[in-house]
Amino acid sequence: MIWEVFRQEDAGEYHTHCGNVHAPDREMAKLFAQIQHGRRKPTNSLWVAPKEEIGEVDTEDAKFGGTTDKSYRWVMGYKDLDAAFAEEVADSESEQEEADEAKRARGGDD
Amino acid sequence: MDIEAVKQRAGPREFSPKDDLPEEYRKAATRMIQFHANSEIMGAYLERPFIRQAPSLDRKLAFSAKVQDEIGHGQLLYRAAESLGIKSREQMLDELAEGEGKFLNCFHYPMESWAEVPMIAFFVDGAAMRRQATLKRTSWEPYAHAMDKVCFEEGFHVKHGEDIMRELATGSKREQEMLQDAFDEWWPRIIQFFGPTDDKSTHHDFSADVGLKTMTNDELRNAFLNAYVPKAEKYGLEIPDEPRIRDNGDGTYEVVEEDLDWEEFFTIAKNDSPGSHEQIGKRERTQEAVEWVRESLDDWERASAGANATPEAAD
Repeated sequence: MIWEVFRQEDAGEYHTHCGNVHAPDREMAKLFAQIQHGRRKPTNSLWVAPKEEIGEVDTEDAKFGGTTDKSYRWVMGYKDLDAAFAEEVADSESEQEEADEAKRARGGDD
Repeated sequence: MDIEAVKQRAGPREFSPKDDLPEEYRKAATRMIQFHANSEIMGAYLERPFIRQAPSLDRKLAFSAKVQDEIGHGQLLYRAAESLGIKSREQMLDELAEGEGKFLNCFHYPMESWAEVPMIAFFVDGAAMRRQATLKRTSWEPYAHAMDKVCFEEGFHVKHGEDIMRELATGSKREQEMLQDAFDEWWPRIIQFFGPTDDKSTHHDFSADVGLKTMTNDELRNAFLNAYVPKAEKYGLEIPDEPRIRDNGDGTYEVVEEDLDWEEFFTIAKNDSPGSHEQIGKRERTQEAVEWVRESLDDWERASAGANATPEAAD
């Protein structure tokens, strides 16, 4: 049986997928995950989940974010307004810009 | 863990569902997150009619995207609240429908004209964002994770709100007057967003001690004024004489608290103003109208889970 493994580096951070292991049950999966994925990289916690319990939808099945121009729902659509007046607005703007650039780099649409 | 241990360990994203936390912490966090979740939902309901009234297709698209975001934030937050193990999502939604669930003061007032839209979409969302940015460092990890996503999205709301305000502020004389009227009416409520001054706040000390809150009402309100008073002035809005705003002369501002109507505020806090009844009733009726959707989802879940499955309790 295959178990997907998610690693959290520090307390409070996200568990992100890091690989999978073969194991006959949940207890063994936790043990193998420790050895394979928690031994060297900084690890605070690991999750294991049976592979067949995970559902997936990908770009074959879906157009994430839709197929039309949705610049109206991005801060970049309001670029002529200054965001620097409030730190948290400026932070949101740069996070969105980063996400947008990452999408474009992959050739995706928004 | 006992409450002393919680206070000792309290820090950003310190506690998660796998920690054995005392009921006092879990109840305080539930109260705070449920209030936040309810406010997202009630804000969305207040703004929803303006999708129809939007003056252009651009505005309509952006406004409906925004309302959709807010409902999503409500859902995220109910999950973060539910993970404390005190109340289920269903229970919290029922409490909101029955008028027991508490929510933000600003969403207890009726909104009638398009000129009022930036009062919520710029000022109230801006105030919310100020507060939410500090909650990325709250001690309940699922709440902080919800804030990551909320803050990511919220920048668009504030800028869109400002864009609407700019359009009105640079529009016809009539539009400018409508904007000023809306501002006069909403300004005191917006300032009350952050709640009463620290020494009147009933919950602050405990929430701060266990790391749920990282800034006081007064600190947040002052930070908001410092950023948003100059914005209002930039768009030619005249700050009403009352409540008096002290300009400290160094780019910082303070409000004279006793100029605000705290009786009204505390009536609203009990869900007992005319607006409270109206908004809660509106939402309840909408909930009832789509009850069949929830029922069919539940039926489907039961059918596909099979007869042996036991319903999962709130984690």
